[in-house]
Amino acid sequence: MLHLLEYWAARLALFGVDLLPPVAASRWAAALGSLWWTADRPRRRVAISNILRAGVTHDATEARAIGRGASRHMGMVLVESMKSSLVLDDPERLRVDIPGDVETVLEDPERGLIVVSGHFGNWEIAGQWLSRYKPVAGISRPMTNPRVQKLALERRQRGAFRMIPKYDPDPGRFLKLLGDGEILALLVDQHARRGIDVPFFGHPAKTHTTAAMLHLVARTPLTFLVCRRMAPMTFELSLSPLIEQQRSGDRNADVEAIVRTLNSLLEEAIRRDPEQYLWGHRRWR
Amino acid sequence: MDADGTSEVLSRLRDVLRESAVEEHDWDAVASETPIESLGFDSLTILDVLYDVEEEFGIALDPKQVVKTRTVGEIITLLQQNGA
Repeated sequence: MLHLLEYWAARLALFGVDLLPPVAASRWAAALGSLWWTADRPRRRVAISNILRAGVTHDATEARAIGRGASRHMGMVLVESMKSSLVLDDPERLRVDIPGDVETVLEDPERGLIVVSGHFGNWEIAGQWLSRYKPVAGISRPMTNPRVQKLALERRQRGAFRMIPKYDPDPGRFLKLLGDGEILALLVDQHARRGIDVPFFGHPAKTHTTAAMLHLVARTPLTFLVCRRMAPMTFELSLSPLIEQQRSGDRNADVEAIVRTLNSLLEEAIRRDPEQYLWGHRRWR
Repeated sequence: MDADGTSEVLSRLRDVLRESAVEEHDWDAVASETPIESLGFDSLTILDVLYDVEEEFGIALDPKQVVKTRTVGEIITLLQQNGA
């Protein structure tokens, strides 16, 4: 029943999106996100609990306001992703800051790149922008709602961006695509059953290690990406300088050092704009 | 003992696999002709194993070469080509 409601909410949002100019469509989606915040009590409780636990605020009223803002933000992400060409083709709408070392890798067709981010800002726009340099493979877990998943995939502009299922049966797939000079894009802020415990906002959270291991084994450059919304349909995309971890011979220590760095970069982005983060996920279990 | 040291490399490789693998396996039965896909690694554990193999032998393998290997024997050849 909930899936059907979500599906029709998404269809309603899309109807509005198609009728309205982009900025108005973004605001329309934000209003629907706000409505969703009111309707989805279980996720609301998770979000408020997470915001307080993260220490972004210690005030419950403010936590609710941040949570509602984040819900509005997620509505906007959905719409912006479907209207991404307007952003990608307009330098006024997408300001980009790439360090020299990352740019060198992006412009070298022989070199792969691991790009890590979280469910912050608009990661979809970021992935599509990256695919203008070289093919991008993103790893994803399918949405819990298959109807909304199908709808979203039908509407997105993909270009050279493709998705790989989270549980890929081919162990060499990631190594091969990086060896072929492609980009592997990973969102590392969801609960990782087989991950390692690393602090996230000061609390241990099971965190994915794939990006770190690929950096260590494939010796592929690694960077952290943030795509922050500055205004409706307007973004600032920035990449960190390359993250370099020398191998010490202690695999677990090397992996933990990288994962801690990635988590701290994500925390930094979230602290600056907590309303642009997906708080409704049970990160600490 | 074989002249090219294959047996010794295989023995050391078995030890690494035994240490690194998450799933149970009869590692003593692993031979040159054993297909890698039968060892039960997935996209996560294969990276752990590769790291540990490189550390054990003190070499760096080319990932593009590694993904082409299909049997344990081909991995051994790759290790020997890189100085193991």
